Amino acid sequence: MRGQGFAFIAPLLVLMVVAFNLPIIYMLGLAFWDKGRGFTLEHYEGLLDAPVYLRVLGNTLRISLIATIANVAIGYPLAHWMRGLSQRARLIAIALVVLPFWVSILVRTYAWIVVLGNGGLVNRSLQWLGLTDAPVQFLYNELGVTIGMANVLLPFLVLPLFATMIRIDDRLLQAAASLGAPPRTIFWKVYFPLTLPALAAGTLLVFILCLGFYVTPAVLGGGRVPMISNLLDTLINQIPRWEQASAISTILLIVALVIFAGYRRLDRKAST
Amino acid sequence: MTSTPWSRRLLAATGIFGLVFLTVPLLIVIPMSFSPARALTFPPPGFSLRWYEAFFGDPRWMDAMWTSTVVAVLSSVAALVLGSLAAYGLRRGSLAGRDWAEGNFMSPLIVPTIIVAIALYLSLAKVGLLGSFIGLVAAHTVLNVPLVMMVMGVAVRDFDLRIEQVAWSLGASWNYTVVKVMLPNLAPSVFAAWIFAFIGSFDEVIVTSFIAGKFETVPKKMFNELILEVNPTITAVATLLIAVTVLALAAVTLVLGRAGKLRQTLVER
Repeated sequence: MRGQGFAFIAPLLVLMVVAFNLPIIYMLGLAFWDKGRGFTLEHYEGLLDAPVYLRVLGNTLRISLIATIANVAIGYPLAHWMRGLSQRARLIAIALVVLPFWVSILVRTYAWIVVLGNGGLVNRSLQWLGLTDAPVQFLYNELGVTIGMANVLLPFLVLPLFATMIRIDDRLLQAAASLGAPPRTIFWKVYFPLTLPALAAGTLLVFILCLGFYVTPAVLGGGRVPMISNLLDTLINQIPRWEQASAISTILLIVALVIFAGYRRLDRKAST
Repeated sequence: MTSTPWSRRLLAATGIFGLVFLTVPLLIVIPMSFSPARALTFPPPGFSLRWYEAFFGDPRWMDAMWTSTVVAVLSSVAALVLGSLAAYGLRRGSLAGRDWAEGNFMSPLIVPTIIVAIALYLSLAKVGLLGSFIGLVAAHTVLNVPLVMMVMGVAVRDFDLRIEQVAWSLGASWNYTVVKVMLPNLAPSVFAAWIFAFIGSFDEVIVTSFIAGKFETVPKKMFNELILEVNPTITAVATLLIAVTVLALAAVTLVLGRAGKLRQTLVER
């Protein structure tokens, strides 16, 4: 049985090693290796010297943080509201969250150009309401990138959070109420702590995904809001500096894996 | 819990805002694709199919459509076969290092896609396969594997081991059991896994942009055009992609709903 079990796995293992593991190892090699001299940290020293790298890193962290916070601010109430809906309304709400999740990220990003543009729906509504005279510049700046990213990532937070909330036993909340706890106390002392591991796990997941975002900043930022991925694109495709691209990728990979380890711990807690 | 009417209303307002925030962009794009105007104004000033004509009449778009379809079919089938076999081996076998192997198969989902793109770009360039068709299909297969593993892992886990044991005790070989006993039972999940992998490949843009060379897929061409200028033909492409996604998900819902597995697959991913 042991040998046969392996026979089922072997074909995929070969593919993954050849087309995934080895390429990543090769990239790590480029980041730490120099022809003739062997192991080196030279490519990392180069990163510290150039202020543009640090600025892009700062951009990425700031935008990722804001988009993640926006996600939590919208996602938690949304999931909580969905829990209280009737069976039928809940199904519709789930469909409305799941569908965008599967629609191409390009389509969703492109849609924001249409909605947020100077003659777009949002600006026309604002002007019609008399809130502003000139169109508000939503596109090709950090605001647009943040809105686009929050939109793409919202289902990643809402779906697992909702799955956790729906498992919370109503009798637990009724018990608290019958003991005389006011609704606010029930929410903060009973309900919220039960959802906290799932919330924390979802938040970390969204943050990891933010760090690697490529399409949305490129399209909605119009080249004016570079994030790490766009910098990597430049270093690979425009001014070939493969070693530095490898060095930056290695840092991003390590950060993502460390955050993911935290996510796994929280996720296990959330699902037990 | 939220007993005061005020807080209940605030919650409902935020919830509805969230749903609108998620869906409105998609709902706006669809009518825009039927606009006769070149400028992106909403509501559209009339009705026309000119952007669909522009799309279907452009051999470059049709080429991209063909490439996307071929790559998606090949890579989704490859991922489905390899991933299902591996999911079965992982669940039923007793291998040392099983968690490690499973973690490795799931990792294309966690490692930022841009890193996969760069690692593949560098190594394909090294072995002289950058811009090759085989490299493109292999890359898409790797990215599809976690989607297949998620669906098939759950399906195999939930399939009663005793049914297989009955087959074995009646003298069926392992291979015979998989083909004649498991596959017919797991068909709904296999279908769902295949659809997810197909959509995943058909929508892939980052890795494709880096390694596809002269090959144009629909998302790659769309991405390149979006960066250059806003061309309304994209609204037609976007609407078609939304339509394909809706149809695919509807098919999955039908098949899984009949098998009672919908909730599991869609929500508890």
